[in-house]
Amino acid sequence: MNVFVNEQTLEIAPDCNIEELLEALDKPLQGTAVAVNQNILSRSLWSDYSLQEGDHISLFQAIAGG
Amino acid sequence: MMLFNEMVDNDQLVIADKTFTSRLFTGTGKFNDQQTMVDALRASQSELVTMALKRVDMQHKDDDILAPLIKNGLNLLPNTSGARNAKEAVFAAQLAREALQTNWVKLEIHPDPKYLLPDPIETLKAAETLANDGFVVLPYVHADPVLCKHLESAGCAAVMPLGAPIGSNKGLKTLEFLEIIIEQANLPVIVDAGIGSPSHAALAMEMGADAVLVNTAMAVAGNPVAMSEAFAKAVQAGRQAYLSGLAGQVNHAVASSPLTAFLEAG
Repeated sequence: MNVFVNEQTLEIAPDCNIEELLEALDKPLQGTAVAVNQNILSRSLWSDYSLQEGDHISLFQAIAGG
Repeated sequence: MMLFNEMVDNDQLVIADKTFTSRLFTGTGKFNDQQTMVDALRASQSELVTMALKRVDMQHKDDDILAPLIKNGLNLLPNTSGARNAKEAVFAAQLAREALQTNWVKLEIHPDPKYLLPDPIETLKAAETLANDGFVVLPYVHADPVLCKHLESAGCAAVMPLGAPIGSNKGLKTLEFLEIIIEQANLPVIVDAGIGSPSHAALAMEMGADAVLVNTAMAVAGNPVAMSEAFAKAVQAGRQAYLSGLAGQVNHAVASSPLTAFLEAG
């Protein structure tokens, strides 16, 4: 099935959760925030939330800044 | 009476649930490389460092900046840089809380990229929302004493008035208004932005600022590590001068040597 990650289309396995998605994308879990369809998803829910066809996932990362 | 050394040794800054020994807060931006940043932060003795948040670039892998900061025991202060209004800032703060697992936030809303001056109306709105939502809010604001009192009432944990535009290194252009803010504040005042040299930082501390936040002046210095150490000394010196009680100024001369007329003796 297809989802959108930061506006990029991505094909993933059905029942893939957020944690598995981040691992597949080789993105760190630490310092990352996730919103699904504009709703922020708490880290404690990442392994529980199964992605749905057409979900829009936004990934954010802590970076250097003043 | 407490000995002076004891007073200086016990001089800690408390903001919300955290106690700081160092009154120099630092940013993590603009350093040439990660090792220089880590070495400079260590030299600064800073215990609180700011970070930003951005959308992940799917094509590139970002440096892991977080691990070395956590390894060095630093407290993290995520900012809402990039937010143009209260709504975006609240969203950014909520994302940062998830990303960095902290409810501390440096609230900054500057819609104009040329001067990066903070929007007071949107900042106050966002501060009220975030404070009600349990955030420890440190808003970046113009040196406006009235606004700072409003932010205090809104439940902010400190205020961060600017000395000059971000990254300008121009020093305390807002000095007289910073003095009013410091005089009136019932919460910590952290002078942020524009501090371009250790003497600027020392001056802010002599005036009674509770802390200063420095980034550009360290990160783009010829030798960032040595400069960070210089800032640490300046902040300590300025704080000690403030605690010591500065001698007052007068317009006429007051002799430091006895004016005995020995040359005319006879």
